Amino acid sequence: MSSSMALFSSTTPHLSSFSSSSAKTHLPNNPFLSFKPQRHLLSGSFRATENGSGAGILVEENKAPEPKEASTGNGAPVADDVADSLLKFEDPKWVSGTWDLKQFQKDGTTDWDAVIDAEVKRRKWLQDTPESSNNDFPVVFDTSIIPWWAWMKRFHLPEAELLNGRAAMVGFFMAYFVDSLTGVGLVDQMGNFFCKTLLFVAVAGVLLIRKNEDYDNLKKLLDETTFYDKQWQATWQDEKKKE
Amino acid sequence: MASVALKSFVGLRQSSTENHRSSIASLTKPLSSTQIHYRRLNVVAGKSSPKVTGRNLRVAVIGGGPAGGAAAETLAKGGVETILIERKMDNAKPCGGAIPLCMVGEFDLPLDIIDRRVTKMKMISPSNVAVDIGRTLKPHEYIGMVRREILDAYLRDRASAAGATIINGLFVKMDKPTEKYKPYVIHYNSYDGKAGSAGKKVSIEVDAVIGADGANSRVAKSIDAGDYEYAIAFQERIKIPADKMQYYEDLAEMYVGDDVSPDFYGWVFPKCDHVAVGTGTVTHKPDIKKFQLATRLRARDKILGGKIIRVEAHPIPEHPRPRRLAERVALVGDAAGYVTKCSGEGIYFAAKSGRMCAESIVEGSENGKRMVEEADLRKYLEKWDKTYWPTYKVLDVLQKVFYRSNPAREAFVEMCADEYVQKMTFDSYLYKKVAPGNPLEDLKLAVNTIGSLVRANALRKEMAKI
Repeated sequence: MSSSMALFSSTTPHLSSFSSSSAKTHLPNNPFLSFKPQRHLLSGSFRATENGSGAGILVEENKAPEPKEASTGNGAPVADDVADSLLKFEDPKWVSGTWDLKQFQKDGTTDWDAVIDAEVKRRKWLQDTPESSNNDFPVVFDTSIIPWWAWMKRFHLPEAELLNGRAAMVGFFMAYFVDSLTGVGLVDQMGNFFCKTLLFVAVAGVLLIRKNEDYDNLKKLLDETTFYDKQWQATWQDEKKKE
Repeated sequence: MASVALKSFVGLRQSSTENHRSSIASLTKPLSSTQIHYRRLNVVAGKSSPKVTGRNLRVAVIGGGPAGGAAAETLAKGGVETILIERKMDNAKPCGGAIPLCMVGEFDLPLDIIDRRVTKMKMISPSNVAVDIGRTLKPHEYIGMVRREILDAYLRDRASAAGATIINGLFVKMDKPTEKYKPYVIHYNSYDGKAGSAGKKVSIEVDAVIGADGANSRVAKSIDAGDYEYAIAFQERIKIPADKMQYYEDLAEMYVGDDVSPDFYGWVFPKCDHVAVGTGTVTHKPDIKKFQLATRLRARDKILGGKIIRVEAHPIPEHPRPRRLAERVALVGDAAGYVTKCSGEGIYFAAKSGRMCAESIVEGSENGKRMVEEADLRKYLEKWDKTYWPTYKVLDVLQKVFYRSNPAREAFVEMCADEYVQKMTFDSYLYKKVAPGNPLEDLKLAVNTIGSLVRANALRKEMAKI
């Protein structure tokens, strides 16, 4: 199949050229290395995912008639060619700047997990190859259209299960251990104020510190919140020293 | 006018005035460098600084930007003998050029120095989700875009009209006084209008100095004010075709993302007849050109066909200097480091701090009649910190929360779509007051913010897996 090329101009900002290729050619994504302003007929394809979504399109534009001239020696002449070779994010389910929920139907209801997966892929794609924002094709997707329970089910519940499981195991053995040492049974343990305090501390600790790094993170966060204040107060320390 | 002996209230007794004292009468001795105690009829705390004889208080304002111009005008109006030293009168400073609405009113700016009125802003997230903000603006509200050379010159001219002496010169150094009320000696190179010359060395004596000489302040260095962290703002002025310029008629854009800046934002601001496309960073300064390319890429479709007419960069202070005041030298504006976080706004705060410092000098010197002391200048710092600390702190928190990472930025743009957020943001930006909002709405906002952040971070964790 031959592919058609449209010239990138100010009046038709969006161009589409589709090509089917049997061979997957991976083209260099690094815009800083591209130096070719002439027209090219090229095709590229984005790696196919399990459900076959996403096909990348390579676009080449002839920027010669509208160069960006730098009056001073612009240290990066390659900058003009940055946008010359460009893969744009395209996906059949991505319609007019948002995910078309009708295409995510499974057994009559929307498959929110698939929506989340699709958005993850889109963001990953854009993180690796940022794209120009375009007024004719605005992106209006808002993650809040995915209901809260879908987020809970997918992200919160597995971790909650893990933590609760660990807590339960530790709790069982602690109760057994204390019982064997002091003879105080589980019900009596719960009645003791000291044990209740320990339990509270344990629950709070598990919520805040789940990994070793969390402890440092919390300390850093605490420093961060007061750092700016200290910078502003610095001029007043001066006065205090004098007095 | 030397000493004045006020008759005591008891009667018109011919008192040989020298040591007569009463709680109502006041007495002054001829000016000497020793302290004089003095009580007045007004309810004012006892002033102990000596009167200035034969002349008014002399103050030098180093730097003629918004801070210097505003300070010089207020000083001159207050009866203080003011000298403003500016090294480049026609300096077209690289700057975003945005002033809030309240500045127009507070500084009586004529509307013709405002090139454009921005009433819409577009926030663009790393994944190009674009949100328009500005729906909540009332018809008379706008963000003014000015050309710095026009604004600065206007403020300086007004200062000159009020009686300040404007000198074209470069401040070199300052000799601190050895005794308590002795003057400062300012050494500067006077250019006298001759371009390209090294200038004539001039020295003058002044009683107080206001350092308004910007981010690389020499006055700050001479008082050991300390350093601050600063961001580099890099900007290209691009002249784009008329139909593209139409889109930016009254709209400014903000691009956020790791590609554009790891700790700041990229922008497209409309100027008089072109746009300024730029970005900034604190932590990754060597990569600034890369960030600029990324910004241009993100705005590419909208600035297609544009020609770069100027490339400029400048430092932006991130926080105030450790010492903003030393004896009778005070720093204002960028020299003090009064640039907000998150938005990087500095013009209004420079002008306001210049004015506040000048006001405290005028008040402390009783319209130029007495010597000022450090305590008088500290009042300016006190007033400044009290008035604007909430604004600075809120913007700091916003920056820390929303400029952390791409998920945080996605959440930020999502939150901007909310009308309550827009109203609060614009109200606090345009009027520089952190207004307490509706508590219920605030709660809803907090819940939504946490929700957005949680969702965006969850997506990011998934992104790390593929």
